[in-house]
This record gives sequence, C-alpha cells and structure tokens, in this order.
Amino acid sequence: MNISELMRLDIAKRADASFKKVKEVQAILNASITFIEDDGVRRDGKLAGIPVALKDNISTKGIRTTAASNILDDYIPIYDATIVKKLADAGAVFVSKSSMDELAMGGTNRTANIGPCLNPYDPKRITGGSSGGSAALVACGAVPLAIGSDTGDSVRKPASYCGVVGVKPSYGRISRYGIIPYASSLDHVGYFTTNVADAALALEVLAGRDDLDMTSSSIPVPQYSKLLNADIEGKRILIFDNVLKAIKDDDILSAFEKLIAGLKSKGAIIETVHFRDDLMKCLFPTYFIIANAEATANHSNLDGIRFGHRIDGDSMEEVMINTRTRGFSSFIKKRFVIGSYSLFEENQDRLLRKAQKVRRLICDEVLNKLKTADVLIAPASGSIAPLIDSPSTDELNDEYLVVENHMVIGNFAGLPSMTLPLGQKEGMPFGVNITCNAFDETGMFTIGKAIEEISGLKDLTKEVL
Amino acid sequence: MKYDVVVGIEIHAELNTHTKMFSGAPYHFKAEANTCTNEVDLAHPGVLPCVNREAVKKAVELCTALNLKIDPLIKFDRKNYYYSDLPKGYQITQQFHPIGKDGHVTVDDEGTKQTIRINRIHMEEDTAKQFHLYDETLIDFNRAGVPLVEIVSEPDITSGKEAALYVEKLRQTLTYLDVSDARMEEGSMRCDINISLKEKGSDVFGTKVEIKNLNSIANIKEAIEYEIERQTKALESGEKIAQETRRFDEKTMTTVSMRKKEGSVDYKYFPEPNIFPILLSAEDIREITEAMPELPDVKEARYKDEFKLSDYDAGQLIQNKDLALYYDEMMKSGKYPKTCCNLLLSELQGLLAKRNESIAETEVRPNMLAKLAALLEEKVISSKQGKEVLNLMLDGSDPEEIVKEKGLRQVSDTSIIEKIVEEVLTDNPESIHDYKNGKDRALGYLVGQVMKRSKGQANPQMASDLLKDKLAKL
Repeated sequence: MNISELMRLDIAKRADASFKKVKEVQAILNASITFIEDDGVRRDGKLAGIPVALKDNISTKGIRTTAASNILDDYIPIYDATIVKKLADAGAVFVSKSSMDELAMGGTNRTANIGPCLNPYDPKRITGGSSGGSAALVACGAVPLAIGSDTGDSVRKPASYCGVVGVKPSYGRISRYGIIPYASSLDHVGYFTTNVADAALALEVLAGRDDLDMTSSSIPVPQYSKLLNADIEGKRILIFDNVLKAIKDDDILSAFEKLIAGLKSKGAIIETVHFRDDLMKCLFPTYFIIANAEATANHSNLDGIRFGHRIDGDSMEEVMINTRTRGFSSFIKKRFVIGSYSLFEENQDRLLRKAQKVRRLICDEVLNKLKTADVLIAPASGSIAPLIDSPSTDELNDEYLVVENHMVIGNFAGLPSMTLPLGQKEGMPFGVNITCNAFDETGMFTIGKAIEEISGLKDLTKEVL
Repeated sequence: MKYDVVVGIEIHAELNTHTKMFSGAPYHFKAEANTCTNEVDLAHPGVLPCVNREAVKKAVELCTALNLKIDPLIKFDRKNYYYSDLPKGYQITQQFHPIGKDGHVTVDDEGTKQTIRINRIHMEEDTAKQFHLYDETLIDFNRAGVPLVEIVSEPDITSGKEAALYVEKLRQTLTYLDVSDARMEEGSMRCDINISLKEKGSDVFGTKVEIKNLNSIANIKEAIEYEIERQTKALESGEKIAQETRRFDEKTMTTVSMRKKEGSVDYKYFPEPNIFPILLSAEDIREITEAMPELPDVKEARYKDEFKLSDYDAGQLIQNKDLALYYDEMMKSGKYPKTCCNLLLSELQGLLAKRNESIAETEVRPNMLAKLAALLEEKVISSKQGKEVLNLMLDGSDPEEIVKEKGLRQVSDTSIIEKIVEEVLTDNPESIHDYKNGKDRALGYLVGQVMKRSKGQANPQMASDLLKDKLAKL
C-alpha cells in the first residue's frame, strides 16, 4: 500500500480499509495500543484522507497516550503534538496509536506493557524497536505512513527488520513538541513508508520551524517530492568499512556488494572509509550514558501527582515512590539507575561529561569525512530480525558494538539518515542505511530513490491475514 | 562587640513579564488558582521549554543596573529533585553560566557610602504554591514557571541596618527598571539571609545560619539583629552554633529553628538539552541597555542639578517610583520645579492619603497639577484658592476650567484694586486713624475689607501694597 495508490480513491474511502485492517491484524501482530475510531471528518491537503498510525509516545488530545508504560496507562493528553496538528491540517486520518518499547527505551519492541509487537514476515520474530508497532503496520499494508521516533535507531532498525522505508531527518527538521521524550539531545521524529516518493512527500508535511520547539530549525522546507530524482552521477558515496568488516552474514554482504555495483554503474563515486576503531567501540556506551542521563530527568514528571496512573500513599513522597515503583518496568528502572548514577556530582566527569566529549569526537570523525562526500552507506543490521525468544545479545561483543549501533551516529550528529529494503533471507527482509550531511534530505532522497531503482524493492508489504 | 558580623543575602525576584519563563501561559498574582497554567507549566509528557525573550531582556537590564558583567551566551541547566511543587521533577536554572557575575551596589548609611558586592544573578523558574490543609495538600500551579532572577550577594553586609538598606536598594532598582513588582508581602520578592559571627578580625568564618520567611524589609533588620544577639550569647556561653535553617517569627520577633542542615544535596545539575545556547550580540545588549529607564541615583542627581531641588525633596521624590515618574511627567510641561514638587509632595499626597488613594490611582493628571503650579506662580490665583482648586481637581478636572467656572480668578489689575482701595479708605476713616497711630492691625483689617469687596478675588499682596501706598500719602 502506498500514498499515491490511495490518492486515486475517493477521499471518503481512502482510510476505510485501514480502520478495518489495524484491528484485524491485532491478534497476529499486537501492533496497536489504542485504536482510533473514525470520526468521518475528511480534509483536503497533501495527505487528504490518507490513514496514518502514530507511535504511542505522540501526544494526541483526547486520545489515550501511554508510551507503552503502565505509569501512563490512563493518561489522556490535553494537547496535540505539533506534528499531529500538521498531519491533520494536511488531511491525514489517524487510525492507531501504535506499539513501542516502554517509553521508547529499547530496540526490540519486546518491552511494551501490552506485550511484544510481532513481525509481519514471521510472527515468531521481533519487529525491532522502539517504533516496532509503526513499522509493523506499514509492513503489513495496514497504513501507507506511520510515525515513529528515533533516539538511537528506533525507526531505522525496525525498518530494516520489517522491509520498509524508515526515515530520520536532521535534528531540528521536525518539531519534537508533544513527543514523550527518551533523550532530548538524541530524539528525532521519524516515520515509515513503503517507498521513497511517499517518504519525500511525508517530510514536506512534517518538517518546519515550530516556535514551541526551540531546537527546531528555521531553514525553509524544500518541496522534496517535486525535487525527487534518481540522478546520482558524480555523487560521492562512502562505504562504512568498520561495519562491513564486522558483519558475518554472507547474504547481507553480497546483497550490499551488488547494491554498490549498481550505484557505481549509475555514475556514483565509491570510496571506502574506516573510522577510528576505538571511537566506534564507544558508540554504545556513549549513547547509553547520555541517553539515560537525560531520560532519568525527562521522566521525573511521571510522579502520579498531576496525571497518569497514581498509586496512593500516606504522604506526597510516598505517592511518588509508589507510583514510580509500580508504574515502570524493571528495564526502565535499570536505565534510570544508570542515568542517575552518571549524573551524580562525583561521577559526572568520569561518565556524563566524558560521554559528551566522546560524542563530540565521534561527530568530528564522521563529519570530517562527510565534508567531501554526499553519503555514508552500510547495511542497517548484521542480521535479519531475531526470534522473540532468542537469548538477549551480548551487548559488548565487537560485532554488536559496531554493526548494531552504527546508526546512532545519525543521532549523535543530528544527520539525516534512512533505511531502505536491501534484500531478503529466509523470507525475512534486511535493509541498507544511508546517512547524509545535515539538512541534505533532498540529497538523501535522491540516493534513496537510486537504491530503490537498483534493488527493485519498492512498495513491499507482507499480507498476514 | 567582640564579634564581626558576616551576612550574605540571596534574593529571588519574580520578573513581571506577561508570560512565564518557558511557556506562553499568562501570570497574574491575583488570578484564581490554576487558571494561569498550560501543559508546559504542568509538565505534561512531551512538552518543551521556550525561553521568554522579555525575561532575558529584563535580566540584562538588572545586571547592567547592578554593575554585573553580562555573559552574552545564555545557557540553562537542570536542577534535579522530586517535590510536589516542582512539576517537571527538575527546575530549569542557570547553574554553570549565570547571566551576570561580579557586580556591586552602593548604599548610603546616613552619609557613609558602603559598597556591597554581588556575586551573581541568574535566571530560573518558580515552583507551584502549596497549601497544606489538615489531611490534604492543595497545589496552585499558577506560580509554576514564573520567571525569577536570583541575586546573590557576597558576604559583605555587617548589620541588620545595612542589610535593610541593601534590600531596599535592590527593591528600588527592580521597581524603577520595571523588571519586577518586588512586593515582599506578595512574595514577588523573597529574601534568604545567611549569617554568621566570627572573632573580631579573624579570617576564620563561623557556622552559617540561614534565615527564611522574611516578608518585609523591617523584618530583615529585626531578624538579623535578633540573630546577632542570639549567636553572641551562645558563643559567649561556649555553645556551638548549629548549621541550620531558621525562620523569622513575626509574633515574637525572634528566629525559630526549622531544620538542621546535614551535608549538601546533590542536585545532579546538567545542561538543559532542549534549549540551545543563545548568543546575545553586543548590539542586542546595547539596544536593551540604551532603552533602560533612568535609575534612581541618576534621577536624584538630575533633580538636584537641573531643578535645584533640595536633598530632602529629591530624596522624597525618588523614594517612590510612581512619585518620581509623576514628577517627571509634570516637569515635561511645568516651568516651576519647586512649586511642582511642593504641590505633589505636600498638597496632592496629603489629599490622597486622606482618601486612601495612591499616586498611581489618582485622576489628577501630572500636566494638570503642573498647570495649577503655574496658576499659583503667576499669581492668577491665591494659595488659598489653590487648595480649593486642587480639591476640585480630584475628579480629573482642568484647574483653568475650575478657575473660570467658579470665577476664582485673582484680580491683579491695579486700576480695579485701586478703585476698591479708595472705597474702603473712604468708608473706614477710623482705621486710617488707627493706622496713623501705629496700630498695624488696622492694615490687616483694611486688606480684609478689600478682599471682601472683591469677593476674595483681589491679589492680597497687591491690595496691601496699594493700601500702604495710599495711607502714606494721606
């Protein structure tokens, strides 16, 4: 399913199938937390009548928003996120609040309080996370566009596992106002589509300065969809050598090689770049410290006093303690403890401030190389989607540290980055990731379009019914 | 005294901006509870802070007025702690980069100038207000997010009186700049005192005690004086001073222990990621400081230089910003600085006091009061008539209109007065006789007769002069 196909239908009918399908696939995928009922309102605009799913950390006025956490189980926002207004103004019709890892703190979508979200290509496998519900709903053809958020690779990894296009534009390109945060300096709004043209169109609607988000950019928003072409003649493409060297899967490697050959034959200039190994090994710890330090403060508002699921106590302090103890899962509490620990005055120099310095070094390393190039390219993951009950990964082995964390560079430096389908193995999709210079979304879509033409993997969906 | 007194003062002043520090919600002190809040103030999930430009401008003005070095790179940090009056679970403040550093003010202690250094001024946001009832607590979030500046002095203050002068000076500066209402009784200016005693001349500081709950400048003086006495007694009897927070009790005029301080709290400060640093250009700062209102010291000097007012009058005028602004307004059209000043300070203020009205509330416009000054100075009306006219001006009427309507115009035409004088002399030969025999009272009587026949409109000075003239010739 894609946007241009739906546009051929009568505006009143464009969302009909979606309203039905998000409910029908629920038993198989568990991809929605709240279904949104059709109010019958249809508005004109770039997305007139187009059904859209919203990750459940996006504030929707009057519609329950839980971020997949028990602590917000009965939270009904009093305001709309800026992107919700923008999408509605463009005529989008909301059909689902989609599943996610609790408070977007995870990469598997196994930690949602409603249980894991399942992969349409194989419900025994994960979707990846944290925006797994949105990825699954696009992948199964329930919606042509679903919004997610991306703090480490929370849009781009599930896009790889679910065989869809996943976009995270530059930091500041899309307003974050109304997105329940994970880590403010790393959080981006991202989204899923089934093709690059839809991705370009969606960004036209979502992007732009918002006075409610001081980190949003005033750079004018180009007409991405009109500028879209696949001409990559003379484009300089950097192959991310550290990632390639660490990948063990031959199918992924050979698909990647074929893609590079295709890009070369379209006139691109290919170069291989190797970043400092010590810095690449720091990607995960650096991310983990910064993200969790910010997260522990960001979620201090969840105290049961003003909203959310309150658990009573004899004093105000007890109310807070009870609410937070019962409201968060152990995964979240673990991250809060780590975040808090790195914020202690006696630890900050050694942990948070050091992590911030390392983040700067990593950014400099990558930005220096990108200065004279257009794009950095690598497989989005070293494998297809893992099985749900597979034992948790050793997060500190060399392969994991580089291969499964390289996309966080886009978050560290705020660079536009997207994942596109690259191939399939055992019936499961896997993707390729491209990362470009800040605010060069136009260039990113051009290269994305070329990749789409070479791979032929466009408008993929997997019927689950 | 055997001890040196060391006092440092931290002042929190609410900036009187239209909206909050980081949200677009309005704020009025008297608004009904929880009506001046929005999702940002309530810290609903997903909200982001947005720096109030006006608040930054006001902080720059204050730093300039108090001689602080301004850091043009505006940055904010999070101060983390859980409390029910702090919706976000952290306060956005300026821990690492305060907007201003190293300033000073000079206070005048009966002719002795005393300089008190200011360590820093930083911007932050206020917390909600809590009302603890018997078995429940109510929270009013109107105050949550109101812009604050915290002004931290160096420990340069050595007495209760000096502390009061310092706080009064800051209050005056805050109100003249119109950056804060600075009303201690309403909590828009709050004051914490740190006080310790040390052996005279010693470099070793004593144990610091913090005093809170000071809601007037008079209480600041009282609290410090009480605390000096209490600590002196304790030290002299060999007791140790406990490191604690005390509050001032207005009923007993003493300080009472609130809580002991044990170690410092780790607020886990870190830079606020949702606000990028904002760089103020030299031009931005110049624009702000050039548009700043005149400060009280400058005003006072100008009143003395330009208008030749006495120290006392100039001091009286600047004591109250509204009075000074009123006087400035009068002098835009007024020609008689001294008469204008007298009319304002004694006549109008006196009338308003009786009516329980403030200068800000009165219907009497400054240009009208200046007109009255001119009518008096130019002898169009007598000072007695002046009082009558001012009374009638309280509804906003123009004094010239009143004079016309009531026919109060003082007659200063010599020929008219001369005619009346002649009539009076003709009708009162015995008074002439008395006058000639040295009874000065007779002149007064004759002037009175002239005033009576002119229905009070004759210029009494002229009447008296003319009478003397005529009597001499008789």
